[in-house]
Amino acid sequence: MIVLETPSRFLLQVLLNRIQFLVKGVELDYHLVEFDDVRYHLQATMKDPHHMALSISIPTPPPETVLSGGLPFGAIEAVRGAYGAAMQIVDPAEDGFQLTLKLDLTKLPSNEEARTQLLIKIASLRSVVLGAPLREILKHLASKAVAPDADRLIALTHRPKESFFLIPQPEKVTVVFPMRFRDSIDVVLATSFLQEFMEARRTAGLNNAPPCHYSPSPPLELKGAPAHALNANAGFVSFVIFPRHVEGEKLDRTVWSLSTFHAYVSYHIKCSKSFMHTRMRRRVETLIQALNRAKPEVEKEKKTAQGRSFKRHL
Amino acid sequence: MDATSRPAVVIDNGTGYTKMGFAGNVEPCFIIPTVVAVNESFVSQSRGSGKGSWLAQHDAAVKADLDFFIGEEALSRSHSINTYNLSYPIRHGQVENWDTMERYWQQCIFNYLRCDPEDHYFLLTESPLTAPENREYTGEIMFETFNVPGLYIAVQAVLAIAAGYTTSKCEMTGVVVDAGDGITHIVPVADGYVIGSAIKSIPIAGRDLTLFVQQLMRERGENIPPEDSLEVARRIKEAYCYTCADIVKEFGKHDRDPEKYIKQWTGTKPKTGARYSCDVGYERFLAPEVFFNPEIYSSDYTTPLPVVVDKCIQSSPIDTRRALYKNIVLSGGSTMFKDFPRRLQRDIKKIVDARIGASDARLGGEVKSQAVDVNVVGHPIQRFAVWFGGSVLASTPEFYTACHTKEEYEEYGPSICRTNPVFKGMY
Repeated sequence: MIVLETPSRFLLQVLLNRIQFLVKGVELDYHLVEFDDVRYHLQATMKDPHHMALSISIPTPPPETVLSGGLPFGAIEAVRGAYGAAMQIVDPAEDGFQLTLKLDLTKLPSNEEARTQLLIKIASLRSVVLGAPLREILKHLASKAVAPDADRLIALTHRPKESFFLIPQPEKVTVVFPMRFRDSIDVVLATSFLQEFMEARRTAGLNNAPPCHYSPSPPLELKGAPAHALNANAGFVSFVIFPRHVEGEKLDRTVWSLSTFHAYVSYHIKCSKSFMHTRMRRRVETLIQALNRAKPEVEKEKKTAQGRSFKRHL
Repeated sequence: MDATSRPAVVIDNGTGYTKMGFAGNVEPCFIIPTVVAVNESFVSQSRGSGKGSWLAQHDAAVKADLDFFIGEEALSRSHSINTYNLSYPIRHGQVENWDTMERYWQQCIFNYLRCDPEDHYFLLTESPLTAPENREYTGEIMFETFNVPGLYIAVQAVLAIAAGYTTSKCEMTGVVVDAGDGITHIVPVADGYVIGSAIKSIPIAGRDLTLFVQQLMRERGENIPPEDSLEVARRIKEAYCYTCADIVKEFGKHDRDPEKYIKQWTGTKPKTGARYSCDVGYERFLAPEVFFNPEIYSSDYTTPLPVVVDKCIQSSPIDTRRALYKNIVLSGGSTMFKDFPRRLQRDIKKIVDARIGASDARLGGEVKSQAVDVNVVGHPIQRFAVWFGGSVLASTPEFYTACHTKEEYEEYGPSICRTNPVFKGMY
């Protein structure tokens, strides 16, 4: 509940339903938009119930990010690696989308568990495509091989026209997020949230978590970054990722958490607002109770057992 | 990129189920029960510990704040772990608990639809009798908590009519029989405007039918674990109930041919896991019959649905009545029973014909009045007709101009949410 889940709940639901009721293959046509402007288009036709087409469009990149063919570096390879024969890349992609995949339901593994695993993987398409370059860099870190472009600032898109920065080094990778919010109240909440976030890292239970630092001004690591990337109204958060954070299974989780960090913060700002509203409502209720107690009591007309009323003269 | 270039989010919060999705789609992405499971254990704990540990209290409250579930998850959690309390934020079509409602929206937006509320216009729905203050409150939550760029609060009945209008006729006049889970409303709409004075409501809806099924099965002594009986009754109602033409004949049919009509229900007991089975008999047609003969269910309310629909139309302005009879639209899950539209149409037609016959007799055959066309419209998508109507309207370009924007909200305050104009796309 506290973190955003990797697979899209809706995609997973549709896929599972489709597998379960394959015989009754109905027409499907869904347009979806996810946070950070990721769009999906899911299609299935009656004529061809064993195939589904899934298109994805990623946020428009800022000028400092380099893409290859409209997609992040290594995305195509990552998609091929993750899905194998069940998903085929359609070329060219659907109009308005960067990548179209064709899912062949007959090629799914027959083993129930493996199939569900694969479906969850398909529903996590976003993380596979958008997280591909980040995953590549973190893999280098895990294998402790020196990345080819060590000590260079790398920009990766995570929101429309916004990017976050990575500085890969042999022993660690520093990740810097410029945090921007549209609403002025959100900015205030975000600043205090991030300060608390940094404080929370120091508690005893989180000794192994990546070191986290928050500063209102751009950190030194961003020296070479373009000027427009340095104006963030809610400050900068940096994490230092060590090889132990990307070992084995942890890699996927780390990639997802990093690439959706902004959405995570924005979700929690909204949560804290509604928490404050709850508190305010409770406060108002107690105040009203106090007021009600102070009201002079109106003498009620008393009734006798027969239902007649009478006035008492004192 | 501007929010108007993205599809609007349409959320229809009903008493029983919430339908949500993106405008322009044919079906909602999710239909989930409107229920929140809140973890109350933290709250009681912190109260007990007294004033001493403010920080602990604060921590507990914060944890409880994020520890809640909605929809099916909420139901299953509350079954398995008893630290969660179920809360139904909407009762009888009105929001009663704003705390849980706000959390419910939060979950809908972030974990189900997974969209950023700042990127989308929102279309929410309300029951026709909602007070303007509630609308303001909804607006406050949407603009303040979620920073939505634009909001439109539509009346469910109007959307239900809009759902029908794509099919054949472009008409925004009709009577909506909206039988959801909490309450049944009969709402006349003329050219997209609700005729407020003629709205009728019936205190019988889906939940009452469920209770009735439960009561019938309990009285017959069916073998159902008591803790599960309401849930089983609801499922039986949804799967097996139908509307009959004549209740006496139907009893006869059941008695003559029990194999054909009596169904079997099997389930597992939640505590022991043992399997059980029970028969589903007369309640199959008796439950929907409650709408047509309410006296079999309660002695407090005895006016049948067709009579109320007729009364509602008779109390509407005279120049709209013919059009209203012609377009009686069904919406809501409780109108989904087989043959429900046909039965309703027949009964209303009977009342109307009797009235015409009486007036003809009074006039002594000098003037013949024109026959009134009674038409009850059902869709295949009745269950989420309101949502579909919302999806259709929110995908028109005029929708964005009819919305209240965040700038307007900041300029004038929440009172702008009181009125939501009828816009071009509606007629």
